[in-house]
Amino acid sequence: MAEALFYFLGGLALVFAVGVVRARMPLFSVLSLLGSFFCLAAIYLLCGFPFLAATQLLVYAGAIMVLFLFVIMLLNLGDAAEIERHAGPTLSGRRLLVAGVSAGVLGLVGLFAADLGGASFADEPAVQGRALDDLDHLATVLFSRYALPFEAASLLLLATMVGVIVLAKRQRGARVEAVRARETAELAVPQESAP
Amino acid sequence: MNVPTEHLLVLAALLFALGVLGFLARRNVIIVLASIELMLNAANLSFLAASRHWARASLAEQGHWDQGPIFAIFVILVAAAEAAVGLALVIALYRLKQTVALDTASELKG
Repeated sequence: MAEALFYFLGGLALVFAVGVVRARMPLFSVLSLLGSFFCLAAIYLLCGFPFLAATQLLVYAGAIMVLFLFVIMLLNLGDAAEIERHAGPTLSGRRLLVAGVSAGVLGLVGLFAADLGGASFADEPAVQGRALDDLDHLATVLFSRYALPFEAASLLLLATMVGVIVLAKRQRGARVEAVRARETAELAVPQESAP
Repeated sequence: MNVPTEHLLVLAALLFALGVLGFLARRNVIIVLASIELMLNAANLSFLAASRHWARASLAEQGHWDQGPIFAIFVILVAAAEAAVGLALVIALYRLKQTVALDTASELKG
């Protein structure tokens, strides 16, 4: 039963992933991504990682997805005609060929690497019905052996916060620069054409 | 659940390949960012599959099988940071070019 559920969810995750790549509008792409996240969260749960499944739902399906949707709504990218004007046709010949070959090679490498010499997983008594990401254990490990990466991660989040605020707040300066660049470009053209 | 580890890794590889395809083939910045998230998710899945593989009773003494969830947490953290910075860059790009097509941002080509 659980096995059938896993294969169903895995297939669904792949279908949603194809939807992410193929969608014409970014809104549908992001919503497909949301479906893929949900399927993966269920797979984590089936594999015995309930905490990771909850984190996946909270951080990915909650925070990151809201961020994506917020940007799409903010930039008014939902309109199909706008998208056509902005990003042109979805997939073009040579680019699609290069991307397909790269993705195919990487996928094949992954498929070959996945062959662990037939060491398949069979449920053993010690593993069955036990959460592999037991919070007590996880917290002990995280704050002892991985204390330094944990602190580095907090630093990374701080730097991200500062960087995002700087990037998003540079409104007036950027606009002035853009206007100035346009003016200089307009000034430069007649000067070249005059003589 | 009695699924072989290989099948989990195959699923992760296929998801990663689809992410690479979207990353290389699409021109819309938002879809490119979504493809990156897909790739990070595939990496997470393979971390957890490996952790589950090594947590078996007969193998658990050989290594730190609990590294899998820890690394997955760090990957989720980095993905959140990356999404925030990436979307801020999208907003900055849109402000500058009035578009989200990647081809238009070609100033650094020289």
